[in-house]
Amino acid sequence: MNRDEQGLDFSAVIASTVHDMKNSLSALIQAHDQWLARLPEVLHGGSEQGVIEHQFHHLNGMLVQLLGLYKLDINQLPVCPDYHELEDFIEAQLAAQQEVLEHRDILATWRIDTENPLGFFDRELVASVVGNVLTNAIRHAGHALVIGIEEVGEQLVISVNDDGPGYPQRMLERQQDYLQGIDSRTGSTGLGLYFAARIAALHERDGVRGRIEIANGGVLGGGLFRLYLP
Amino acid sequence: MLQYGQKSFLIVDDFTDFRTSTRSMLRELGVRDVDTADSGEQALRMCVQKRYDFVLQDFHLGDGKKNGQQVLEDLLLDKLISHECVFIMVTAESSQSIVLSAIEHEPDAYLTKPFNRVGLAQRLEKLVQRKTLLKPILQALDRARPAEVLTACAELCKKDPRFAPLCLRYRADALRDLNRFEELEKFLTSILASRPQPWVYAALGSLLHKRGQHAQAQGVYEQALKAFPIMPGLYDGMAEVLVAQGESKRAQHMLEEAVRLSPLAVRRQAALGKLALDNEDFDSASKAYRHAVNQGQSSRYKDPESNLGLVQALMNKNVGNGLDARTRVEINTVLSEVAKENVEDQGLQVRARLMKAASLQQAGDEETASKLTEQALQRLEKMDQLFSVEAALTVAKQLNQLGQASAGASILKGCVETYGDDPKVMQSVAKLTDDPSVLGAVTEAVDLNRQGVRSYQAGQLNEALEMFRRALSLQPKNISIALNTAQALLRIGGESPAPALMQECRNCLQSVAGIPASDSRYDRYRKLHIRVFGA
Repeated sequence: MNRDEQGLDFSAVIASTVHDMKNSLSALIQAHDQWLARLPEVLHGGSEQGVIEHQFHHLNGMLVQLLGLYKLDINQLPVCPDYHELEDFIEAQLAAQQEVLEHRDILATWRIDTENPLGFFDRELVASVVGNVLTNAIRHAGHALVIGIEEVGEQLVISVNDDGPGYPQRMLERQQDYLQGIDSRTGSTGLGLYFAARIAALHERDGVRGRIEIANGGVLGGGLFRLYLP
Repeated sequence: MLQYGQKSFLIVDDFTDFRTSTRSMLRELGVRDVDTADSGEQALRMCVQKRYDFVLQDFHLGDGKKNGQQVLEDLLLDKLISHECVFIMVTAESSQSIVLSAIEHEPDAYLTKPFNRVGLAQRLEKLVQRKTLLKPILQALDRARPAEVLTACAELCKKDPRFAPLCLRYRADALRDLNRFEELEKFLTSILASRPQPWVYAALGSLLHKRGQHAQAQGVYEQALKAFPIMPGLYDGMAEVLVAQGESKRAQHMLEEAVRLSPLAVRRQAALGKLALDNEDFDSASKAYRHAVNQGQSSRYKDPESNLGLVQALMNKNVGNGLDARTRVEINTVLSEVAKENVEDQGLQVRARLMKAASLQQAGDEETASKLTEQALQRLEKMDQLFSVEAALTVAKQLNQLGQASAGASILKGCVETYGDDPKVMQSVAKLTDDPSVLGAVTEAVDLNRQGVRSYQAGQLNEALEMFRRALSLQPKNISIALNTAQALLRIGGESPAPALMQECRNCLQSVAGIPASDSRYDRYRKLHIRVFGA
């Protein structure tokens, strides 16, 4: 066994730890669900329950994102686009957040305004982006959020809109900076957008790359996230 | 809400907690018939006994065990589940790393842990809808009728053209199975022009490769790797066309890249081992073959050639240095596995023994080496099976080194008899011997065979048959000549060939009945065999 020991590759260590953390979190969530099922009905609701579930999602999303960023960094994040039913895709994203939405009393709806029932993208990657954006929207929403899918030109646009206070002005002004790289001052929100932008850009057609956009407004008046897929 | 009361489910996971919680989720959805398995091996046994409507399969089932992808391959290839069965791959982290290894057989969906009841219900419902939509196609697939698959696809596309993209792959596979290659090429090219996907590149590359258009195939793979640089399957295809063009060093690099991306692939590791061995990179060869042997334990692609290759690589790596104790143990283990698991295969029995003898000789134990060589020679005399070219060359070389030059020469003679029409084989044989009785034996027969092929192609069948017959009388064990003779006879015989002619055909085929299954002409041999013997 003469392996080259050149000190620790710290990012690989983090990646492998994150992997273990994710498994651990899965087991935790599962045990929590089973335990919950045995509790009497009156103890099911409550704001703590909402907090726990929301934070589970948040944690899981961050870990997925970290692993994704690591793979992007070492050029090992594969993109495998395929045709997916849009309705199925959105329903699945909302179903994953169902309990949180209930506990937070948020009404989530979706609408699809496309001719084509199918979209062409990497389901897994886009799901991780939409999942994180949803978690974020749930945190800031008042009582409603809406996922929309439409076609703009040749592109598929997936949007998440909430009725919260919206993105802070300085984020909207500096959104290009978030996308170009990670600034130590920007914190986790910036990281999420950075990840989303990288995933978007992995989708390419005839030289056109995917991109993201944040704004305030939309039908619900709060934060509005848009993912453009060529 | 769908009715699951009549449906059967199988949950496969090595964690009891997971099985329990998934089972209770399913119960809440109204499912009554749920079975569980804690390993892929157990799942396969259960699927032999019972047809499941749904399989929830965890991907990672512990080291040294079959993983979910292998279970899926086994289920499909052994037809243990219907195409109508909903197969969901459950994964701990996102499915990305698994997608890598699954270009041929894909599950219906991936489900990432953790998931909740609502999420599971949503996936199940959608998948059932999709299977219902595709039902006629899936039923045609179960009946293995590619023509019906095409019809079913056409009907679906007419009924609802918006869902046509869901048929692309079924159509491509069906065209391939029907040998409608021109159409397939056009079809794949048109998909690439609008929405490129890894499988489309792989299908086009392999089609071009199969038709001998290696340079074009290479172009396709180059384009593919630019678009999808992290898809190991595409590197495999690229490596194949590079080998076909004699660029074995570059091919090795390709496979090394693929292995780096996705190390869990028995066939890829074996292919890499073979390439590295040919390239005399014995370190890489032994590493790759070792992986192939270890991973092969739980795989349907377990192959004794990897064991023999590993031993060869280990010996070559240590040439001139004897063999250390650890290497000797490893050689012992992998060779006894070959002998134990292939009792009926005379060729492998001989080769494993000779390989063992060669390794003992290298380790300095001449006495045991010659004892084993004797045993191998006795078995060799009784053998009626033909060696593949590579096996024959290795055996001949080893016999020479073990002091059995005349036995070695007779192996080479046999090899020339069987494969001598291939100039590449003759080149390889010439590297091992300059004995004119070996090298010269084949010239006349090969000439006659070539003339026969020319006449056959010109439609002069009787003339062709005469050439083939004369060639065959000189070289009765030559595979090409025997198959050519049989084919010419059948062509002349027409719909109902005369009994004498059929008998001659049977004799031709019987003389090469030992043809190794790895031979590129094996399919052709099987087809002729079915026509002549009815099975």
